[in-house]
Amino acid sequence: MRLEELTELQLDALREVGSIGAGHAATALSQLVDRTVALEVPTLEVLDISAVPNVFGGPEQLVFGAYARLLGDIAGSVLFMVPRDAGLALTDLLHGRTPGTSTQMGTDQQALLHHVASILIAAYLAAIARMAGLDVLPSTPAMAFDMAGALLQAVLAEVGMYADAAVLVRTIFVAEGESAEAALFFVPDPDSLSTILSRIGMA
Amino acid sequence: MDPSGLFSPDPELIEVGVGGLVVAEHPKRLFTPALGSCVALALWNPARGTGAMAHIMLPQPAPGAGPTHGGRFATFAVPELVRMMTKDGTKPRRLIAKIAGGAAMFRGEVAIANIGRRNIAEVKHQLSLMSVPLVAEDTGEGHARTVELLLDSGVMVVRSYQFGVRRI
Repeated sequence: MRLEELTELQLDALREVGSIGAGHAATALSQLVDRTVALEVPTLEVLDISAVPNVFGGPEQLVFGAYARLLGDIAGSVLFMVPRDAGLALTDLLHGRTPGTSTQMGTDQQALLHHVASILIAAYLAAIARMAGLDVLPSTPAMAFDMAGALLQAVLAEVGMYADAAVLVRTIFVAEGESAEAALFFVPDPDSLSTILSRIGMA
Repeated sequence: MDPSGLFSPDPELIEVGVGGLVVAEHPKRLFTPALGSCVALALWNPARGTGAMAHIMLPQPAPGAGPTHGGRFATFAVPELVRMMTKDGTKPRRLIAKIAGGAAMFRGEVAIANIGRRNIAEVKHQLSLMSVPLVAEDTGEGHARTVELLLDSGVMVVRSYQFGVRRI
């Protein structure tokens, strides 16, 4: 489907799909860190491929990222990203320590964030799959610790082979009282957008 | 290293976004932040102190893909950038080319690693078709790069969190 042809109503429906996934993921995250996790209302962007490196802070912002490919009835990608300091704060919360205790993003910290990202991604996709009556599973997430723009661009390159724009559903999680902010990007392939929309009666 | 310093307003610094093809002259500098699997191609004319940069995302469009902006594909961007740099009658073999990028950004992710590798291969192939000599590269590996092309010297400055500054 051509992204320019999406109606306002369809965009709203996709945003709603994102909200349901995000709500589920936030519940999982708040159980992990044992405190309330707030969600910003998910945003949906139809984004020109050339603007991609700029959508998460500056392109050179140092982030931890975990990427999973969608398997099953729909194709596409999910990318979890958290800025370095917020990621360290998140690992402190998981250990029941005061955020700010960890100062180095070592192997242990990255392994822990990888674990959190896997759970968030699975929770997010499970909710979407259940709502749309689809079979969707994530591949084992692959991780990176580097510039945000480079991670986004690498994930969106495949979409760029077919289209000039991508639909990106973004969710920001904020652990209550802390500045531990993380984001999840859901990037369905253009064909899979049609599949999702038809399953929820919005085709 | 101070990556954010690159974003202080500098009238001489021209950013080349994904798919961008830009020609410039000293004292301007061409730069591309946060290359992952993308490849930055720099062309430089030593005789004139002019240069150009392309920000390439993919080797070629998918077969049968609809209308697309050609600049992000190596098969279009490389010949087009060479054409832009030889409009004044300069022979392509008098230019020099340098490339950076094409990394495998996610550990254990094969498909994305392949995109980077194929980008590097296609850019090199296109350069050889156009008879432009490739004199230096900082490609592959697993880290992001920010590149800047200095047009008085043709030096490509490559910055990364992992290795700091490399000049090629």
